[in-house]
Amino acid sequence: MLKLFEHEHLDVKRLSDEETAIEVRNLSLQFSDKPVLNDISMRIPKHRITALIGQSGCGKSTLISCFNRMNDLISGCRYQGEIILGGRDINHKKENVSRLRTQVGMVFQRPNPFPLSIYENVCYGLRLQGVNGRRQLDDTVEQALVDAALWDEVKDRLFESAQVLSGGQQQRLVIARALALKPDILLLDEPTSALDPLTTLYIEELMAGLKKRCSIIIVTHNMQQAARVSDYTAFLHQGRLIEYSDSDSLFTMPHKKQTEDYITGRYG
Amino acid sequence: MSRFSPSHWFSSVQKQSFAISFSAFMALLLTIALGCLLLIIVSRGATYFWPATIFKGEFRLSDESAPVKAYMQIRNEFSRSGSEVIWFKYSNRDFPYGNQAMLEATQISGLQAADDGALITLTDGRTVLAEPLSLQSAEREERALEDYSLMQEEVQRITNQIEVIRTERLSDIHQQLSELDMRNVAADAPARIRLSRDFNKWQGLISELEIQRNQYRLTVAFADGERFDLALGDIDEIVRSGRLSYWQKWQATLTAIGRFLTEAPKQANTAGGVFPALFGTVLMVFVMTLIVTPFGVMAAVYLSEYAPNNALTSVIRISVSNMAGVPSIVYGVFGLGFFVYAVGGNIDTLFFSHKLPAPTMGTPGLFWASLTMAILTLPVVIVATEEGLRRVPEGLKAGSYALGATKAETVMRTILPIASPGIMTGVILAIARAAGEVAPLMLVGAVKFAPNLPIDGEFPYLHLDRQFMHLGVLIYDGAFHSQTDVKGSSMMFATCLLLLLVVFILNLLAVVMRMRLRKKYQQG
Ligand SMILES: Nc1ncnc2c1ncn2[C@@H]1O[C@H](COP(=O)(O)OP(=O)(O)OP(=O)(O)O)[C@@H](O)[C@H]1O
Ligand SMILES: [Mg+2]
Repeated sequence: MLKLFEHEHLDVKRLSDEETAIEVRNLSLQFSDKPVLNDISMRIPKHRITALIGQSGCGKSTLISCFNRMNDLISGCRYQGEIILGGRDINHKKENVSRLRTQVGMVFQRPNPFPLSIYENVCYGLRLQGVNGRRQLDDTVEQALVDAALWDEVKDRLFESAQVLSGGQQQRLVIARALALKPDILLLDEPTSALDPLTTLYIEELMAGLKKRCSIIIVTHNMQQAARVSDYTAFLHQGRLIEYSDSDSLFTMPHKKQTEDYITGRYG
Repeated sequence: MSRFSPSHWFSSVQKQSFAISFSAFMALLLTIALGCLLLIIVSRGATYFWPATIFKGEFRLSDESAPVKAYMQIRNEFSRSGSEVIWFKYSNRDFPYGNQAMLEATQISGLQAADDGALITLTDGRTVLAEPLSLQSAEREERALEDYSLMQEEVQRITNQIEVIRTERLSDIHQQLSELDMRNVAADAPARIRLSRDFNKWQGLISELEIQRNQYRLTVAFADGERFDLALGDIDEIVRSGRLSYWQKWQATLTAIGRFLTEAPKQANTAGGVFPALFGTVLMVFVMTLIVTPFGVMAAVYLSEYAPNNALTSVIRISVSNMAGVPSIVYGVFGLGFFVYAVGGNIDTLFFSHKLPAPTMGTPGLFWASLTMAILTLPVVIVATEEGLRRVPEGLKAGSYALGATKAETVMRTILPIASPGIMTGVILAIARAAGEVAPLMLVGAVKFAPNLPIDGEFPYLHLDRQFMHLGVLIYDGAFHSQTDVKGSSMMFATCLLLLLVVFILNLLAVVMRMRLRKKYQQG
């Protein structure tokens, strides 16, 4: 039954509200009057991996940062349109941004563990929520590290500094850090661009496993990676959504010329 | 023609290397100058504690005066216009408690070390250079010098008795009398008469004991054989440096250093110890650190994390860095005018009006001094903290926000810990500056002599409104005491050395803390 569900191809153009993790409606965004995103509308499916591809500077990072309102931190950033998540518009003034960010986890291109112990890194979000019980913290830390496939490597040195971990381990640590908050959506901004192929493969496997737990959006420059791990792929070009469909059809028979040019490597 | 203009004399490389060697030369000169300064302070400061040799010699103070034979201690020797000059301290009949003189070496005859001479230090800090001869007990009988410590014990016993009467009887009577005063009891009331009778009785006993104590005496002889005697109760210690072995001298030096650090100054800050000043300096710096750190950090966090990026912020930033260049005396005047008179005066009228016109807070004191120094060092802390905050990687801040942290939480949990080495650097600089500053302090609370420490057993234990002593003020005072003090080893140099050590130790502490923080929050 589950198997069936997993292989079922949803049409991203006709997703029902239950099947939608995020609905973007006419989203435009400017950085100090320079338009970066232009009238983007799309529905991102639940419990699937959706890849964002596109040329450098086309606005991929900016788009996923809209989903947890990280763009608010950039002065001079303005946006219009709606982003519906869990039945509400998160662009609304009254949105509780801190709570939103616990629901929408984010992993950055370069691993950024805090200069704390491994344990405290994973606890960071929980402590912010006022969770201080030793038992609860221990359990959550273990679960998150297991989910991020890091537990076996660090279980004996949880209280050592996170800075001594390798790059790949650090990236899994920050994934664990996000997972500890049990997010509904996980945003990954080029999570493997700084890692070697083997570690990359490791993290890709990890993503496939995490799909059951949350909806994943990944930005990547690596076509093979997008084709390999993602169920759906969106192609952005100069702030516009050019093409968006299931990965198989997008990579085998793109409808738009720009998409084809990009995936065959005709753009820089 | 232009071949002969000066700019062609050197090639540009030569010019550059000339400039470099010139700056190297200047740097070398500065280092040497600094080294010499340190050498002078260390040598003159440290030799102050070494038991100086006692000499015997004969000299005339002027051509007309009679020759003087005396025990003396040489404080410094130097040459002036070709001839050797000796600056020394001596005791004789005319000046039993010592006098200083500066004579050419040729004017002193028969100068030789005299190991029968002793340096007798009195409890009030004065000294006598003479040969101890014999002791006298209360029964007026002659006793040998060997009984000195035994007799001192007897004297001590009497002193203790006097002290007991003073604290247990007299203070009680004083208190009762002042209670009667408060209740406006008539001068001839029976209670009053009874109390004053008691008072006179105990006072009489004390005088008797004091007379008895004064009968214990030490007879000494000056170099010319003239006798002189001293009450044993007044004598603090007798050091015959000529009879001390090398190790005993070291021992004496260490004891002297110990007493220097733990005792109060005597003889208007020319003898005794510096404990109140050391304590005052450290406490002032400590309180200042407690004030300046939170304010400096908050200001820096505001400037670099919260303030909008506009002209006003730049103006504030520029003024802050320029504040570091304001002469410190200006801060002193500001502290006196604003904190002491304006703020302190208003606190007095609001909360301590029952004590007016005697000021409580409206007078210079430790707290105002610390506050003034905090303002003085604030720019240093702000600038260094901002520097530290700038080093916090954007990625870490973003990581914190992405986990649902608010701005305040990110500042508290991520930014400040990572910036803490930078904050520490600022605090180090602030401490170094504050511990060495004297001029503004003299306006806002540091004094040459303070009767009480700012901390004692009396509620509320920490008296931040009290005036305090400061090592720097002591040095300033010492330098003006006598022109000769700056020429030889003296208490002033010892205090200089101590001040340097205090600054050094405070810095060292802060550097160690910074290193540990760096290690803890290092960026991989
Ligand atoms: N903080 C900012 N202020 C102003 N402009 C910005 C800022 N961040 C990004 N931009 C601009 O927005 C556009 C989109 O940037 P974005 O980072 O989203 O691109 P991207 O698709 O993620 O590129 P890459 O693949 O290189 O990461 C770029 O033109 C960039 O110059
Ligand atoms: Mg990007």
